[in-house]
Amino acid sequence: MKLLRRKEGPSLDSRLAALLEAASLAEGRLAEEAVSGARAVAERAGARRNLSVDHTVAALAGATGSGKSSLYNALAGEELAAVGVVRPTTSTAQAALWDGEGSGSLLDWLGIPQRHSAAPAPDLSGLILLDLPDHDSIQLSHRLEVDRLVELVDLLVWVVDPQKYADAALHDRYLRPLSAHRDVMLVVLNQADRLPAHAVERCLGDLRRLLDEDGLTGVPALAASARTGAGLAELRSLLGERVAHRRSWSTRLAADVTTAATRLGGPAAEDGTASGVAEGGAGRTAGMDRALTAALCDAAGVPLVVQAVAKGHRHRAVVATGWPVTRWIRKFRPDPLRRLRIGTTAPAGERPSRPPDRRPGEPPGRLRAEVAGKPRGELAGGPRDELPGEPPGGSADRPPGVGIVGRTSVPAASAVQRAKVETAIRDVGEAAAAGLPGPWAAAVRQAARSRSRELADEVDRAVATTSFRATRRPRWWRAVNVLQWLVFAAMLAGALWLGGLFAMDYLRLPQPPLPTVGVVPWPTVLLLGGALAGVLIALLSRLAAWAGGRRRARRTARALRTAIGQVSDELVLAPVRVELDRYARFMAAINRALDGT
Amino acid sequence: MDLLAALEALRRPLDRELFPLAVGEAARDRRAQRELAGQLDDYLLPRLRALDAPLLAVVGGSTGAGKSTLVNSLVGADVTEPGVLRPTTLVPTLVVSPADRAWFMGQNVLPSLSRATGTGPGALRVVTSDALGAGLALLDAPDIDSVVVANRELAAQLLAAADLWLFVTTAARYADEVPWSFLRSARERSTALALVLDRVSPDAVGPVSRDLSRLLAENGLDGTLLFTVPEAVLPAEKARLPAETVRPISSWLTGLAADAAERSRVVRQTLSGALDSLATRVPALAEAVERQQAAFDGLRSIVAGAYAGGLADFDAGMRDGSLLRGEVLARWQDFIGTGDLMRSLESRVGWLRDRIVGFFTGRVPELQLRDALESGVEALIRGAADGAAERALEGWSAAPGGPDLLERLGPMESARLGRASADLGKRSESAVRGWQEYVLDLVREEGAERRTAARVASFGVNGAGLLLMLGAFASTGGLTGIEVGIAGGTSLLSQKLLEAVFGDQAVRTLTVAARADLRDRVRMLLEEESYRFMAQLEAVEPPGGTANALRVAAERIHIHRAELPLTTGESP
Repeated sequence: MKLLRRKEGPSLDSRLAALLEAASLAEGRLAEEAVSGARAVAERAGARRNLSVDHTVAALAGATGSGKSSLYNALAGEELAAVGVVRPTTSTAQAALWDGEGSGSLLDWLGIPQRHSAAPAPDLSGLILLDLPDHDSIQLSHRLEVDRLVELVDLLVWVVDPQKYADAALHDRYLRPLSAHRDVMLVVLNQADRLPAHAVERCLGDLRRLLDEDGLTGVPALAASARTGAGLAELRSLLGERVAHRRSWSTRLAADVTTAATRLGGPAAEDGTASGVAEGGAGRTAGMDRALTAALCDAAGVPLVVQAVAKGHRHRAVVATGWPVTRWIRKFRPDPLRRLRIGTTAPAGERPSRPPDRRPGEPPGRLRAEVAGKPRGELAGGPRDELPGEPPGGSADRPPGVGIVGRTSVPAASAVQRAKVETAIRDVGEAAAAGLPGPWAAAVRQAARSRSRELADEVDRAVATTSFRATRRPRWWRAVNVLQWLVFAAMLAGALWLGGLFAMDYLRLPQPPLPTVGVVPWPTVLLLGGALAGVLIALLSRLAAWAGGRRRARRTARALRTAIGQVSDELVLAPVRVELDRYARFMAAINRALDGT
Repeated sequence: MDLLAALEALRRPLDRELFPLAVGEAARDRRAQRELAGQLDDYLLPRLRALDAPLLAVVGGSTGAGKSTLVNSLVGADVTEPGVLRPTTLVPTLVVSPADRAWFMGQNVLPSLSRATGTGPGALRVVTSDALGAGLALLDAPDIDSVVVANRELAAQLLAAADLWLFVTTAARYADEVPWSFLRSARERSTALALVLDRVSPDAVGPVSRDLSRLLAENGLDGTLLFTVPEAVLPAEKARLPAETVRPISSWLTGLAADAAERSRVVRQTLSGALDSLATRVPALAEAVERQQAAFDGLRSIVAGAYAGGLADFDAGMRDGSLLRGEVLARWQDFIGTGDLMRSLESRVGWLRDRIVGFFTGRVPELQLRDALESGVEALIRGAADGAAERALEGWSAAPGGPDLLERLGPMESARLGRASADLGKRSESAVRGWQEYVLDLVREEGAERRTAARVASFGVNGAGLLLMLGAFASTGGLTGIEVGIAGGTSLLSQKLLEAVFGDQAVRTLTVAARADLRDRVRMLLEEESYRFMAQLEAVEPPGGTANALRVAAERIHIHRAELPLTTGESP
């Protein structure tokens, strides 16, 4: 017995677990009654497994007047149930037990108070035979009792008679919906004695045809007569066989699982192509994110930012490296980057001194993760004159959770841009949902939209973090600046020297000896050469700044696209992938629940 | 006869499917509609047209109750095919006396069933028999409860067409739910009824018939004529019952055929019962139709609301001047930056430079600006239409009757419904072009009327129109801070320029007109979009006023009910 149980156990266990998993994955996606139905099946199965598995509960079910009670009495060998001509006769279920020790709790679970120990018979040992009320009379309570017990018993013996075997009430309400339970079903054509002998075979053949139409191919159907005893031995041996195997209970539960899983999985569960669809959907989104990223870049004002980066670079280069005599004029013009409030607040984890080749293609999310947990660096340096918000080089890391990135002043997305982003999101959802069954497709489309509210803020954060790197000041600016000041100093020295000479000449003081370069005196060389060199350096560095600005704008554009792509992946594609993955897991669970592998 | 006219008026609206939406118990309502229409066609209308036509007794009941055997035994000939395989009777058989044959062969009663004699094909086999007296026909109906759906429906139709039910049940069947639901409806409609308790084993006759009488009394059918036929062991499957067991029934039937007054009493009982039942059935149906109507209104208002929201989205997009930003702004700056404006004003200098710039760059800034404006408006329209479609679809899948409607469309079709239609881009493009034409016309008109025509010409009518379009989006302002600097600045410039050309008030009027025109065009586009939803409703919606028509017809029937003559006339 134990051996059998172990042999049956794991398969049923894993199928039940798979069904429960499928039910919880389908929660909120599929119809509530299918989900709760699957849960109820699992619950029932758990209850049945904990009760006596050495007993097989077989129920005699059928229409009123088909002779269930007569058959029950004939099998029990005693007049246990009242048999009558007045319909309906049996109003409560009762049980006959063959070696019924230990089945008390099982019968309690079934809710059968009326029990009888039948005369011991070795061939039926372990059988609990239930005589059910009818399912088709005007007594509604009978039908409800039948409906309840049909869900619980291990083996169903449908008793029909020549008058009623084709009733819609039987076939439509019970046999067809229970077509998965064909292994735990027997059909008995009772009252065969009321037919002429030659008609019994034809009638049985017709019953067979109806059963096949119900999807119950292979269910044993036999003619019997409780009155004459014909066919009873055959029925008894069929029952005995099932009882001896002691696995009807698990077969029945397995059939329940199949029914529930089929109902949950819908038509897709049968053809088994579903998981392929889910994977294909994930692949399809890969192409869609380009359009989405483009729309998001547009909405985030990336072209504007990129332009500002180029202009800002030139602007700052001029301020840093221009001819000292005129560079202050430049400060009256606004800094394009500062006007967008880019680079005014330090984003978490940004290190302006990082070599530039580390920049492109690096997602902000990764940067943030990289620095998480590092101690807060000292901020003693404070904001510099030129760039008040720029953190001191080297140690601007923040502790985790303090990653406050100021909102940039890039103009908010216009209605047009928002509309384009929404259209792109819908396209992604639609492409990902293609080929999925209705409710799941809706869930996937919903998932694509689920975090679209956060998009604007996250994208702006990405813009602030990424473009902050574009505000880094190249080192050559400082060198050129020093050079500019040196040249300026030389020019100043020349001017002062010439001024001194002029003053002495004016005061008619004797002229000191004047060193010359060739024929040109030194002070003149210093003054003119300094001025010339200053202007030349300013022009050259302006040229360099122009090229640098362009390069920087290109890099920023690339980095921004990557960063925004990351955001769209995180906020749009990731939820879609999660939902598609959920669907794939659901289908896998359904398939496991269906075939037990 | 007014009563007949009233019934015909009641019949007319029933031709259509009145319950297309799954609201409440739509299946039950549909059945009620079908039953009512069937009863009017098959029974009430023909019976009222010929009150003294032969009486039709339908032998109905469960499968295996022995209806066919009973009919054969009553007629004394093998007119129908009994058997052990269920269900036996598939084609109903009508047994008539030769005198009434002509009446029944004409499609008076049960006009929807084709007649067949002999072994010919047809939906209703007609057999003549001398055993039946003139004025009475027996119809062997299929079963009411077998797995064959067609049988059940046909049996219900035949029973609804009967003047008299000869309802057959058996000792094993008499407490079944299905036959009792028929008996209850017979009681509700006061149908003339006789019950045959068939196949009773001789020892059970007493208790079973007592129990059946009890059940009849419990269900308000006491006094029903009850015949008992004991089960006999038949020598063959097609044998008939011994004559003496069916004698009470056959003699009752013979008596009925002979007694014209009794026959007309039976006819009037069933007929007036059926007419009376209309007083409750029709208003119930009308109520159900109103429920459907309410569901339709609900679905329609969801769509209307969703698309009104779409138009509001579009308005919001226009109002905050945001169309100016982004692409439009960039192109506008191109427009200014390349000296296009200057070119327009000083056309002679500009012409040469424009040719040179155009030669090298291959682009014409003014056209670009207009393109940006167009694609912006188009994107806005598309977004609004998409959002509205999405909201409408979501609304439908939560509203009563909606999910079922969408399910019938199929997942592909309903997913398509949830997005803007595919050709929206093309249509919105043409709408925007139309709008531009309108704006240009406006400028031209205004230019012609005023003395500023010359200055408009110097601007180039196109340039002025373009500026006006920009003005349409920015005129409401709402720009603050830097945005004013970036976006407002340019529009402010265009505004000023335009004001210089046309004068302040004229610009304002033009802008309002341009904006209103664009809004109208978009509203029409969205209405076309929403029609995709509305069309789904209109395709299945019953005509308005159906409920009222039904109620009025029921009222008229009630009023003219008294016209029913108490005795049938002797005239043919």
